[in-house]
Amino acid sequence: MEFVVEEGKRVSEECSTLILPALSIGNVGQLAVDLLVSSTGAERIGYLDDPNLLPCVGNDAYGPLPCGEIALPLEVYESFSIATTLAQQRSPVAKGMMIKFAENIAEFAASSGKKHVVVLSSLDFQRLHNLDMSRGPQVYYLSNVESDGRDDHCERLGFGRLHEYDSEGRCWKYLSSVFDENNKEELTFPSEDELEDIDYYPSLPFAALFSAFKAKGLVVTCLLCYCSEGDNIPDAFLLAEAASKLTGLSPDKFRGEEGGKWRIPYSWKSMYGAPPDMSMF
Amino acid sequence: MEDVLTENPPPSRFFQEDLNNFVPPPESLPSPFIIFSNPKPELPLRPSLLIIAVSSPSLYVFHNLPSKTLLGSLIMPEVPFSGNTMEPSLEDKSCNIYSLSSTDDKNSILLVSVQLPVSPERSHIVSRLLIGQDIIPERVIILDSIQSRNFRGKLSPDETLAAKLETSSEKKATSCVNLDYFPSGSVIDGLSASLLSRCQLRNIRGTLVISWPEFGPSVVRFVGALLKNIVPSLDIASVNKDLDKYSSKTGLKKDAWLDSDLYT
Repeated sequence: MEFVVEEGKRVSEECSTLILPALSIGNVGQLAVDLLVSSTGAERIGYLDDPNLLPCVGNDAYGPLPCGEIALPLEVYESFSIATTLAQQRSPVAKGMMIKFAENIAEFAASSGKKHVVVLSSLDFQRLHNLDMSRGPQVYYLSNVESDGRDDHCERLGFGRLHEYDSEGRCWKYLSSVFDENNKEELTFPSEDELEDIDYYPSLPFAALFSAFKAKGLVVTCLLCYCSEGDNIPDAFLLAEAASKLTGLSPDKFRGEEGGKWRIPYSWKSMYGAPPDMSMF
Repeated sequence: MEDVLTENPPPSRFFQEDLNNFVPPPESLPSPFIIFSNPKPELPLRPSLLIIAVSSPSLYVFHNLPSKTLLGSLIMPEVPFSGNTMEPSLEDKSCNIYSLSSTDDKNSILLVSVQLPVSPERSHIVSRLLIGQDIIPERVIILDSIQSRNFRGKLSPDETLAAKLETSSEKKATSCVNLDYFPSGSVIDGLSASLLSRCQLRNIRGTLVISWPEFGPSVVRFVGALLKNIVPSLDIASVNKDLDKYSSKTGLKKDAWLDSDLYT
């Protein structure tokens, strides 16, 4: 993975927190990062070029008007006012290459001096076993602060610990080992036929990223929410809000619309395709 | 008429296997490479302009341009040669590199006709071969079609459209491609996206021109006129000659269509 700094820009050493999405159902992590970039006025400072990422290009996603600035598959933004780096991923990873991709991006984070990484992801609502609607939409977390995934800071913020995390589970152990540079043991790739329901969580991209960043000695927190495919904008707001609370971003750091906190990215205007052809009516 | 109530939205969702860490990596393929004709030119080639045809209309235009010299070919080991002909043909699965002989400097303008299927997974390595290694262009123009699956607007089969995306360095310079920008929210993927990304990362002036519809005489005329505007010395008279026989599906002459894999 090569990091290419945009002409005239520089990397800030003060930005020790990295927020990035994991590919997940409803693209929620990516939508949440879109919101954070758009609302904090973060500027693009460079690109990450990885052979495991499928190609895509587009026009500027944030606006206020699309000005023809090219958008690439994996871009790095920084906001000095919030001392945070945001990476936005716009295209999928090639099938079967997620582990390699996670390894590469963890190497980038470590070599660029990041201390804390926040991974935003969603989970399939059909996998949620204990539904408690009394507390409203719930954000879950997984952290490497303690070995069981717990983090007091997240607990105080009201996030629910991901109880399905089992560091001794077969697939979680496999992920830990595969990113461990010192591991000499021959690893057996879990076969798709052998996977059980409990293996759903470690099979997801967020788990690969979590394990890769952990192996680099970085503090990593995954913020998760359950959702279904559909209108996932509310889920994006939920995760973006959680990320801003976790990283201590105060409301005055945001440049929302009409004095509010959030600014909707320009590209969201066409998220669900063109409007219907009214001439039929 | 399409049913607006049940028409599928543009795809932005994943298959389960796309999100599975434990899907095994694909078997690795041998790297593609470029072979050059005899005598081998001095490498790297440094054209002032590299034009890459990916779309069917642009391939048709390139094929019918006179005064071009075959310089070399990009070979992808996984693509069989069966059905290819000795002389370059629109039916070939090939990726030929030509120089435009009409200019004073023999290799000042290079054309690349991408007539073989390049998967998204192989696009990265192919675009590195075409830009920045044996070929280091000052400026790149890529010609592709708008992909309806990735376009978040309405596309009429009767209306010829075109738009562009360009690199930051091209944006700062005086562009001779006078088109609106591709709308925000829609994306282009595949080889042409990889080529333009490569230009952006290498700070090379690059423009991706995407046109619609994917086939048809009107868009062939548009591409021909666009290229004539960029390279005034280009002879496009023979491009428009047999245009009414241009097949709507393959970019080949209607009565010459073959499935080469079946008939060799």
